[in-house]
Amino acid sequence: MKILSISTATSDLSVALNEADHLVSEKIEENQRNHSVDLDPDIASLLAENGLSLKDIDRFAVAIGPGSYTGLRVGLTTAKMFASILNKELVGVSTLQALAQNFAGEDALIVAALDARNKNFFAGAYRGKEAVIADGHYHLSELLEQVGALPDQKVIFAGSDFSKYQEEIAAGLADKDLRLAEGEENLLHAGAIGRLAVSAPVLDPDQAVPNYLRRTQAEYDWAKKTGQEFAADSAYVEEV
Amino acid sequence: MKEKKDIRILAFESSCDETSTAVVKNGSEIESLVVATQIKSHARFGGVVPEVASRHHIEVITQITREALEEAKVSWEDLDAIAVTHGPGLVGALLIGINAAKAASMATGLPLIGVDHIMGHISAAQLVEPVEYPALALQVSGGHTEIVLLKDPTHFEIVGDTRDDAAGEAYDKIGRVLGVNYPAGKTIDQWAHQGKDTFGFPRAMIDEDNYDFSFSGLKSAFINTCHHADQLGQELDKYDLAASFQAAVVDVLAEKTMRAIRQYQPKTFIMGGGVAANLGLRERMNKEIAALEKAPKVILPPLKLCGDNAAMIAAAAYNQYLAGNFADLTLDADPSMELPYAEDYK
Repeated sequence: MKILSISTATSDLSVALNEADHLVSEKIEENQRNHSVDLDPDIASLLAENGLSLKDIDRFAVAIGPGSYTGLRVGLTTAKMFASILNKELVGVSTLQALAQNFAGEDALIVAALDARNKNFFAGAYRGKEAVIADGHYHLSELLEQVGALPDQKVIFAGSDFSKYQEEIAAGLADKDLRLAEGEENLLHAGAIGRLAVSAPVLDPDQAVPNYLRRTQAEYDWAKKTGQEFAADSAYVEEV
Repeated sequence: MKEKKDIRILAFESSCDETSTAVVKNGSEIESLVVATQIKSHARFGGVVPEVASRHHIEVITQITREALEEAKVSWEDLDAIAVTHGPGLVGALLIGINAAKAASMATGLPLIGVDHIMGHISAAQLVEPVEYPALALQVSGGHTEIVLLKDPTHFEIVGDTRDDAAGEAYDKIGRVLGVNYPAGKTIDQWAHQGKDTFGFPRAMIDEDNYDFSFSGLKSAFINTCHHADQLGQELDKYDLAASFQAAVVDVLAEKTMRAIRQYQPKTFIMGGGVAANLGLRERMNKEIAALEKAPKVILPPLKLCGDNAAMIAAAAYNQYLAGNFADLTLDADPSMELPYAEDYK
């Protein structure tokens, strides 16, 4: 099974080609912001270098969230359209689960987290591929509390620059053996998404949306002001 | 004689709060048009929230792509190009259509065409009847108020522009004062037909020697009038308020547009954009143009084609197709894209 995987969830743009769970080829552009410009050309050159065309791909895999809202939509829109037009499979993989795979083989709890401003993080904790703290939107103190309650001795924080919170993390998890990932250890690899995609459930392209983990501020404000519940997203859009 | 091959274009439009797809043949014949509107969602917030708009666009994009093909009874092999609005508009919203169009182009090998949203609105005219050039267009919507000279099918230039608010934006803002939900244009238009112009609001820039507009002074005069009455505990007639506001807007739009028509002598006059659906404006322009000695052909697209839709994008893309103007996979959103200004723009 040939898998083309895409990550536009963070500032790294990555695409990869996997044959089942074996990585064939991967591209990563670090710290670039205009994923919409580079994604398709990167996919085109990845395929060309491997003598393939889009039609040869069996499964399109994408980092489905959390991450940059716009970035997630760039990747998922592309993958959805490929799958829908070519009648191939679409799968979504957790951005955080994929990040945690940078430490596959380490006997440690991996706390994968993306900075969501004001000491908030989109975060999850993984032992290998298994989620032990579900992906969610956490304040740093809340995250440290949940990690502290787990029995794991060795803990690695990955995905963001945690150096500015180093003291707070060390104080909150005083009895753990801590490490903060640095530099390339924080890169999001599409190849990891491809490996996880082998066992990920297949999605209906018409139904697939990013896993933002947060509604917009406008929606929270509206709910607070009116006391109304959110309807299903589909209730707000109608064909005319 | 060899019969000319039909050119069929699939277009995407997602620049604001409508996600739309369409298949148009030869730039003039709509074979399908699907519009998914988010008005219900943004009505909660009293205006379009960009992040919410982007979220809704991605929910429906694959489904409405398939629906456009099904409704047109065509498959990908029957198409000649894929087109998409790449600006102006909300960047996050534009990116859904752009990435969908680029992915479709990659998956099918069809050429890609990037379309200016404003050229799209104006090109809705050719879905009604053929446009003869040079043509002049009055483009009025929530984001734009422009008089545009169409030298030929792919060269459009701005000859007049708003200096501040767009006309449609002014409608929404005074609508809020009158307690009318966003989008307010339709209700204000209806009320205006039941009232009289009794307040005499200012007609900004109407006598200036240019084709520009300004609506922020009118908006302020309107709001001040209402606040002042509130303070005195007076109740103003909402129909007369609406009629007075609309008369001021229509007077300025009509006066300046007629002057531009007299100067540029277009063969076709086109009105486009959401505010082109305004009956007060339509009636006035029809009347004034009919009174001209040498009247241009007038094209007022039907209401369905005045709002954001992908058929107009496909129509504009057809002109680009014939001119050989194609985009590549690096096509990006340009949220503040602008048509060029005419050389004699003052």
